Amino acid sequence: MRFKNIIIGALVVVIGIGVTIYFFPSEEKKIKKQFRLLAEWVSKDPGENTFTMAYKVKNISTLFDGTCEFKIPVYSFSGSYTPEEISGYAARGRLFCSQLYLKFYDLVIVFPEKGVAKVTLTAKLTGKSNVGEYIDETHELEFVLKKIEKRWLFSKFEVVEVLKK
Amino acid sequence: MERMAVNKKVRQFFFPSFTPQFLIRVSVIALFAYLFFGHIFTPLLIQGHSMEPTYRDGSVNFCLKWRYLFSKPKRHEVVTVRFAGSKVMLLKRVIALEGERVEFRHGKLFVDKKEMDEPYVRYPCSWNLPPRQVEKDCVYVVGDNRSMPIENHVFGQASMKRIVGVLLW
Repeated sequence: MRFKNIIIGALVVVIGIGVTIYFFPSEEKKIKKQFRLLAEWVSKDPGENTFTMAYKVKNISTLFDGTCEFKIPVYSFSGSYTPEEISGYAARGRLFCSQLYLKFYDLVIVFPEKGVAKVTLTAKLTGKSNVGEYIDETHELEFVLKKIEKRWLFSKFEVVEVLKK
Repeated sequence: MERMAVNKKVRQFFFPSFTPQFLIRVSVIALFAYLFFGHIFTPLLIQGHSMEPTYRDGSVNFCLKWRYLFSKPKRHEVVTVRFAGSKVMLLKRVIALEGERVEFRHGKLFVDKKEMDEPYVRYPCSWNLPPRQVEKDCVYVVGDNRSMPIENHVFGQASMKRIVGVLLW
């Protein structure tokens, strides 16, 4: 009887913690959600219809700060872009692919100052181009997100060079 | 009578009683499995063709972590190189060590101007790479499959901090 009570008590505590986490997400969870949305909206299933494409491309711009700084040394590419420009590039990139999947792994989130988050992660982009070429790119990325009006927005993006040729 | 006892044993095996001893046993096994397969022998699925024919796309292996805790990688060893974490890693072969000069001439590997024998490279290669010195606390890693153009192959100098371990076989 006593053992049964302990089990029931433990279950109640676990459910309580789960409910609290669900209804009051931590800052880390809010940031992870932004990455989940970015991956979802960049990804493209084969035969994606125009409405889905327009919805995803339009939403990508809502994840970025007024100007987002890009730094990709591997392709000698850097600069600052507005959310509209970023979603435009994303739309053009998606048009070249019949299917595209973006996944993020191993997110490490730190808060160097209040309202700023630095995230290091591994991004894997797979898919197929319209001419049938396979896409398989993996990179370590560093993001800086800023909290603006209670929302975490991407403000800096950099590709980390893991292997130096 | 004997049959009933066997039935009871079988039932107990598949549907054990929910006792404290049972919970402790399950917890110990789960903890051991987590530590063993999560931090010592990590199972991995090989995806891609850069290490063919030594390691084929879709094959399964184990990464022996902690291998380089007290030693450094040796030439020709196959190592795993991490990105931000160890969920996705690169599988590459060490071809040059710190301080050495590495270059490719018409597909042949030269380390410190000496041509290296590479029996694991089976596909034709025509790479040319000007000589470069491997920096301190780094190793130079390349895949075994060099049949693709040099620009399409992921290789280069990796910091020792990024070397996670070796493959079990």
